[in-house]
Amino acid sequence: MFSRLDGYIGPMLAGASVTLVICIGAILLGFIAGIALYSLRNTGARGAVALADVYLGFFRGTPLLVQLLMLFYIPIALGVEINPYVAAVIALGLNSGAYQSEILRAGFQSLPKGQVEAADSVGIPRGKTLWHIQIPQVLRLTVPQLVSEAADIIKASAIVSVVTVTDLLRVGRQIVASNYRPLEVFITVAVVYLILISIVQLFGRYLEARWRTKS
Amino acid sequence: MNRNSLLTTTLGAVLCVASLNTVAKDLLTQIKERKEIVIATEAAYKPYEYIENGKIVGYDKDLLDFVMEGLPGVKVTQVDVPWASVLPGLAVKKFDFVVTVVGITRERYDNFALTYPIGDGTVALLKRASDDKLSTPEDISGRIVGAQVGSSQLRALQKYNTKLISDGKPGVEEIKEYAAFDEAYADLAAGRTAAVAQSISSLAGVVKERPDIFAIMTPTIGPKAYFSWVGRKDADSKPLVDFFNERIALANSSGKMKALQMKWFGFEMPVPTSVPEPLEID
Repeated sequence: MFSRLDGYIGPMLAGASVTLVICIGAILLGFIAGIALYSLRNTGARGAVALADVYLGFFRGTPLLVQLLMLFYIPIALGVEINPYVAAVIALGLNSGAYQSEILRAGFQSLPKGQVEAADSVGIPRGKTLWHIQIPQVLRLTVPQLVSEAADIIKASAIVSVVTVTDLLRVGRQIVASNYRPLEVFITVAVVYLILISIVQLFGRYLEARWRTKS
Repeated sequence: MNRNSLLTTTLGAVLCVASLNTVAKDLLTQIKERKEIVIATEAAYKPYEYIENGKIVGYDKDLLDFVMEGLPGVKVTQVDVPWASVLPGLAVKKFDFVVTVVGITRERYDNFALTYPIGDGTVALLKRASDDKLSTPEDISGRIVGAQVGSSQLRALQKYNTKLISDGKPGVEEIKEYAAFDEAYADLAAGRTAAVAQSISSLAGVVKERPDIFAIMTPTIGPKAYFSWVGRKDADSKPLVDFFNERIALANSSGKMKALQMKWFGFEMPVPTSVPEPLEID
């Protein structure tokens, strides 16, 4: 088994890096979508709030696999070519945006209201207040939840092969399809996922510790 | 207002001409112009197609290389796609052509352009080497048998089961359908099923890799059947499908196909140079 393991490592590293790149893209996109959703709701305008609610309802109320397939097949029907890797990042990112907006909302709500008023009174534009005053604090407050969301994205990303992306799980299946040894291959795949997620969690703990000492 | 309507008319005319332009150019011409063809493959059928060192290799890949020698300068982009996305992706033009073993069923025959056969798809049953209760295919009565969902092999299995029942046998206990054959093999090895229905040419590869676990039951259970590659069934795709057929026929008559079969399977599989009628299930 260990001699065969050698042959798995190369392809699995390639698959793991695809999974990782897609997930990093999705987490960043999801963060921006999350902030946008929070800002929409925060305007209090009826249309904006309704829009955010529809978004949240859709992305939390339908399976991720369905969202991914829709994103893959609908643009092509409209004559727009969308790269499968981009489709995977967008689907995972938009989906994560719905969850991240809830996490971020909790963070924003725990900031004292007076901050924004104070920033207003000294003439700092709202955009700057958001990015330079509120978001850094919100990030610190919500790191544990964001890390757990990142781990969820990595796990959820195992479905992206349906849109022709050769991710870690797909590489595992390719190996099984030529050596017919599912048990050891899928155990190896699981271990690699575990390593990826552990790295994310360690990074999250490092950030938490660093920011705690700084504040 | 006037300017607006002028703009709309001009835009409309331009779009019209643009779309006429693309309609006039068939897929083969487009491929020659963009110097790239996008091929979908489900690389999970050793020795037809599988992944080795991150690359798609196998009998089909070698045969595809021969076919593409007829289009010098065109880059081949071959992507590995799960089976469930292969034909749907072809239908919505995600890919230009499907180069993966596709059995000939009525629905595929009616909806897609199948090429001349490239391999023997006659179905046999795979069992665990240690399972002494199975010696001929008829012994699967009362047992659970697996196959890939929507596959021609599944059809052959269903048909064989109907025949068993009409011969007065109890028939199989259950036919389990799997998303991919590797799952069906895994369940067979784990003892959850007694046999898997798959083409004998693919099974040869399985048994060669794991002779300790698997064995093929003879004789085959279905009528003579074949594997093809697939294009779209529209006028746009016709020249490309014709091109593939010409090259496949040339591989067949020149002995190239036989040489590749000896290389990858170790035996010869004679195939006709016409598209056979699909296997009917009653």
